[in-house]
Amino acid sequence: MTPSDRLMERIPPKSAIIDFSKVSKIYPPDVVALRDVSFSVNAGETLFLTGMSGAGKSSILKLICAIERPSKGVVEVAGHDLSRVSANQLQSIRQQMGVAYQDFKLLPKQTVAHNIAMPMEVTYTHPKTIRDRISYLLDALHLTAKKDVRLDKLSRGEQQRVAIARAAANYPPLLLADEPTGNLDSTTTKLVLDLFDQLRRAGTTLIIATHDHTLYHNSPHQVLELTQGAIKSQHPSKQPSSGKPGETP
Amino acid sequence: MKALSIITQTARNLRQTIGSQIMTMVTVSLSVLIFSFFSLVFFNLQRSGVQLGEYIKLIVYLDQEPTPTEKPLLEKQIKSFAPVEKIVFKSRQEAFEQLSNQLGPDRDLLADLKPDFLPPSIEVSPARSLTALTQIKQFSDFLATLPGAHKVQYGREWIERLATFTQLVRLIVYLSGGLLVLTSTFMVSSTIRLTVVTRQAELEILRLLGADSAYIKTPLFLEGLIQGIMGSGLGLLFLHGLFTWVQRRFSGQSLLDIVAFSFLPVDIVALIFAASITLCTLGSLISIRKFLRV
Repeated sequence: MTPSDRLMERIPPKSAIIDFSKVSKIYPPDVVALRDVSFSVNAGETLFLTGMSGAGKSSILKLICAIERPSKGVVEVAGHDLSRVSANQLQSIRQQMGVAYQDFKLLPKQTVAHNIAMPMEVTYTHPKTIRDRISYLLDALHLTAKKDVRLDKLSRGEQQRVAIARAAANYPPLLLADEPTGNLDSTTTKLVLDLFDQLRRAGTTLIIATHDHTLYHNSPHQVLELTQGAIKSQHPSKQPSSGKPGETP
Repeated sequence: MKALSIITQTARNLRQTIGSQIMTMVTVSLSVLIFSFFSLVFFNLQRSGVQLGEYIKLIVYLDQEPTPTEKPLLEKQIKSFAPVEKIVFKSRQEAFEQLSNQLGPDRDLLADLKPDFLPPSIEVSPARSLTALTQIKQFSDFLATLPGAHKVQYGREWIERLATFTQLVRLIVYLSGGLLVLTSTFMVSSTIRLTVVTRQAELEILRLLGADSAYIKTPLFLEGLIQGIMGSGLGLLFLHGLFTWVQRRFSGQSLLDIVAFSFLPVDIVALIFAASITLCTLGSLISIRKFLRV
């Protein structure tokens, strides 16, 4: 049983896994990144966050993974108000969340394999399972030849794929990706999208921040367009959820 | 699985900071070596004091030979001051016979002398411990106050030198013990702090990946433990090697013939080993508490 299956037991499909309620984020001294943003994402859904640079896409992702705290409003992940969770609960939430950061947050002096293994090692996954998963992800993202290469020897595009592989490594029930194809060509973009499709089919909730409209153009998934920290439009239109996991929104 | 992951992470940490780890291990080893070396010297001095104690006698020369009723009283008085191995009363006649035996073929030198020209005496052999040796002076002063005591004789000079030297070594043992405490805790603490600082980015990523406190802290704790085991183990092994070399190199020489030198007993070795492991672990705990926020 994968970690994804375990979370699915706790958060039924169609229940909110992410819930933003009137969230504002102001960076000192008075830079408004988000203004009264409310939206929700149900388990198993995919959401594209779009908008120009500085629209607030990355701020939303940072609030979800609790790197930042909201200045106002409530951010809930899997039914937990992130401003009230204990350290242990936050650890548990982060273990079930794969994040591909815009700046990658990889270890430059470590090998590709070690970088991908990290989320599985911190959850004490069996070494053989880790090896198998690394092989699978490297193959899926055409990085097999780079397995034992130090990260700082790779191109930006290759590093980005490693960041995505690490985010996907632990079969996360929730995957956040910040500009996941920003450094990729069309071929490798397709590899990444195929991997995201596999995760989606396995029940992973995807939140992808991008300004590349080809990723969500004609897509059946939710698209939340931001401008200057506020929601400009949401497609398909959806009311903010007040539902908790287990409740029908 | 948890243990395996933590051990893997510890091995990785050690590899990443191998230079500072070796430096710390060498420093801990040297501290242990210095402390255990002086402990060994002190231990053997104590033992040699016990061995040499067999040869120490205080001779109390008396004005008059004590009567049979006075002897038990004198014996009781002596024993009430300090523990003694043996008390032997020697009459004038016995003293004369002893001298005569010592002269051997030249005993005819005594032919014209009366057998009562030597004073009667009491030979007191103190208990075989260095504490008693260092108190010999006091003991001698006491014996001089016994009724009828004329003079007390013993090897004062060398006993005092031995006592002074032993006290000096004892002081060095204490100082090197302090050195061991400071270097072990400080060096290990600094190394762990260095590990934490150099791996700040990695630790931050581990936090973002949801690593629990055990996954982050236990490897750092184990680093201190390994430093303690390796450092003290190497220090003690080196001391043993040095001891064996000295024994082989200087065997048959006068000092080693008089006193049988031996290595530290197992319980003292175990104590030094355990103490340095505890100190190194303490050093790592201090750094974890002070510099790591998980």
